Amino acid sequence: MLIDSIPKALAPLNLEKVAPGEYAQTGCHLEVAATPEQMPGVAQAMLKEGCFLESLTAVDTSKAAFTLVYHFANFHELCRTVVHASLPKEAEAPTISHVYPGADWYEREVYDLFGIKFAGHPNLKRLLLPEDADFHPLLKEFPAEAETKAEPEK
Amino acid sequence: MITSGIEEKTFVLNLGPQHPSTHGVLRVLLEMDGEYIVAAEPVIGYGHRAHEHMAENRNYHQFLPNMGRVDYLHALAFNQGYCMAVEKLLGITVPERAEYIRVITNELNRLTSHLLWFGAYLMDLGAFTPFLYCFDDREHILDLLDRITGSRLTYCFFRFGGVPADLDEDFIFGCRAFIKRLRSRWVDYHNLVTKNVIFIHRTKDVGVFTKEQCLLYGITGPNLRGSGIPYDIRKSEPYSAYPEFDFEIPIGENGDIYDRYIVRLREMEQSCRIIEQALDKLPNGPIMAEKVPKRIKPPVGEVYQAVETARGEFGIYIVSQGDVKPYRIKLRVPSFANLSLMVESFKDNLVADVVAILGSIDVVIPEIDR
Amino acid sequence: MDMVTQTLGIEGFRMIAGLIGVIALVSVNALFLIWMERKVAAHMQLRPGPMEVGPHGALQTIADAVKLMGKELITPEEVDRPIYYLAPIVVFLPVLLTFLVIPFSQTMIIKDMNVGIVLILAFSTLTVLAILMAGWASNNKYSVFGAIRSVAQNIAYEIPLLVTVMSIILMVGSFRLTDIVAAQSRYWFILVQPLAFILFIICATAETNRTPFDLPEAESELVAGFHTEYSGMRFALFFLAEYTNMFIVSAVAAVLFLGGWRGPILPGVVWFLLKVYAVIFLIMWFRWTFPRVRFDQLVTFAWKILIPLSFVNLLLTALALKIF
Repeated sequence: MLIDSIPKALAPLNLEKVAPGEYAQTGCHLEVAATPEQMPGVAQAMLKEGCFLESLTAVDTSKAAFTLVYHFANFHELCRTVVHASLPKEAEAPTISHVYPGADWYEREVYDLFGIKFAGHPNLKRLLLPEDADFHPLLKEFPAEAETKAEPEK
Repeated sequence: MITSGIEEKTFVLNLGPQHPSTHGVLRVLLEMDGEYIVAAEPVIGYGHRAHEHMAENRNYHQFLPNMGRVDYLHALAFNQGYCMAVEKLLGITVPERAEYIRVITNELNRLTSHLLWFGAYLMDLGAFTPFLYCFDDREHILDLLDRITGSRLTYCFFRFGGVPADLDEDFIFGCRAFIKRLRSRWVDYHNLVTKNVIFIHRTKDVGVFTKEQCLLYGITGPNLRGSGIPYDIRKSEPYSAYPEFDFEIPIGENGDIYDRYIVRLREMEQSCRIIEQALDKLPNGPIMAEKVPKRIKPPVGEVYQAVETARGEFGIYIVSQGDVKPYRIKLRVPSFANLSLMVESFKDNLVADVVAILGSIDVVIPEIDR
Repeated sequence: MDMVTQTLGIEGFRMIAGLIGVIALVSVNALFLIWMERKVAAHMQLRPGPMEVGPHGALQTIADAVKLMGKELITPEEVDRPIYYLAPIVVFLPVLLTFLVIPFSQTMIIKDMNVGIVLILAFSTLTVLAILMAGWASNNKYSVFGAIRSVAQNIAYEIPLLVTVMSIILMVGSFRLTDIVAAQSRYWFILVQPLAFILFIICATAETNRTPFDLPEAESELVAGFHTEYSGMRFALFFLAEYTNMFIVSAVAAVLFLGGWRGPILPGVVWFLLKVYAVIFLIMWFRWTFPRVRFDQLVTFAWKILIPLSFVNLLLTALALKIF
């Protein structure tokens, strides 16, 4: 049963928290908290358990830190694991794209929208916004609307 | 990385962004050695409309129409994912009749998506006629769905707690008549396309996705099932009224284009089965939950909800800080992962195969760009 | 009339009258064929097709032609001008010239040359040159691609075409088209050479760049192949050449296999046109039924399957002639 074997696999990494989650309310069976440096190890362990990377994203939690959120699931047995990793702003997070090649684009998207850099990423370029954009739109300090409205040409 | 290829014997060909076969605005830089692809680099983002940014600046009700625009071909599944996620946060239970209506309209939408894929894919391969046949079938479904949802393509039909409009007798009658008609069309489609030698030669053993690759890239949907892994969220993580119905998950063997094609055709048949069973068992009752607050203000928390769309798993991740506006919504769209694997499968293939492989994955670029 | 006949001679008068007739025929033919294609396509796709302009859309092609003639002739900056301008002309002229030897009826033939069929085959190869010119001069990767594919395709399918025609020539013993028609007085050659007919139709479809062999113009893969950069009247010339080419290969099929203008009751020319348009309908039917063949499969099919088959057919014909 994955809900037992995953915590066993993650035990040697000494993560901050590995606990069962409230599936009916959050949609996740296991909730894990780790540091960004531990993420490559977590990814290796999850891949060994046969899980795939469902989603990789970030949340601008506070003025001081981001939270990187990784969701893992399994094709053969229902068990969703969510991993939260708190990343101080201006810090770099290690990439997991050498473990899961699918994470390549997710990390590029996070870099594009938040400005978070992933150390060791083979091709950390912007994905969705134009290459010469100089802003990161999902940061909370990014304005919700344009500050000045353009005047129609007379 | 694509080099300019002036010194070497390769040259760079640009596929798109305006191209009849890249379904949406996709640009792929192909480094080619004659007709063979050496490397491929996709460039996306032409359709970025900042849906996730919009989510943070609108309340939950105002964001509901956005979901129909993310993947316009299977909009109702995206509607469903979002509504279910918010209902989970609020702890609302949807009444049974509403769940059945959701399933029926969802499966009809899946049929339109697969039919459109079928027609458009064959047009990419050069057979122009099936496109017209499919669109003829599709018109019937669009008329049916138009009756109750009010839209033909970008639906915004589900609400938190249920659905706003009920099915009527004409709809049910029309639905049954349509399914009967569609079943009689399978014969034509199979004779014209599936058994066609040219088609088989272009699709067998081309664009193979191995199980290993599917695991590493997080592929879901018919692409995954074509490779032989029976993962369908409607069965693996059942939601809504799906546990009540009896249907199969078609899988392929080799993971080539032909298998993905067969999987999608069989899925259409399974969708017909689900709709019939739902219409037979449709319970009476309310279509909207009772105590749905007017101001949606979910408690602090987060939720991840997955639904099965025509392309794969749509996952929505909502972080709520107890406000009327979501703090963060992440849309995990199936085509994102599917497209990133596709680039790997281009290598050492002919450029004519590029179009065949790209079409067989059934990507909708606007959902990747969001 | 007498003065004209005296200056030019009967032959010269006949040539000029014939040429004018041919140009008229080609234009009317193209007009009709384009309308026919649209109607055939439409009815196969469960829709009515053009219905607005004229009765059942009969004048639609004229409307399209007027539109095309009125379009701006855009010449991209970096094209190789002499070749770019020449290509549409080179694609059209040889096709026009092949009309010289086609027997429309017992008497209606502009010049009954004793190398009739060879002339037709030689001139239809010139279209390959024109496609290569168009593709190269356009200074566009997509066009070059289309042109390269077209050259490979045409060369590959020429050979089985020629060998198949040879097996008919063996039976008749002459290259003259009127002789070929005359030799079918008792039975049409399709009855004794069904394999040759099938091979000929396949090769003819490939020579005229029609689906399933329309890779050089594949809309969904290379935008529009070798004529991507052509607009307006120049594009119309390529289009015209394709339809006229289709007429020519169908006419050759009718002459070689279906007995030319032979037939009871109706005048010869009516039978001839009926047969030609029947073969054209067949080619159009292919277009709206089959998907496109991939390029390497196309070339493999020609070299590994069609060429051996056509040689087998030739050998069998030679054997049969020796024995019977």
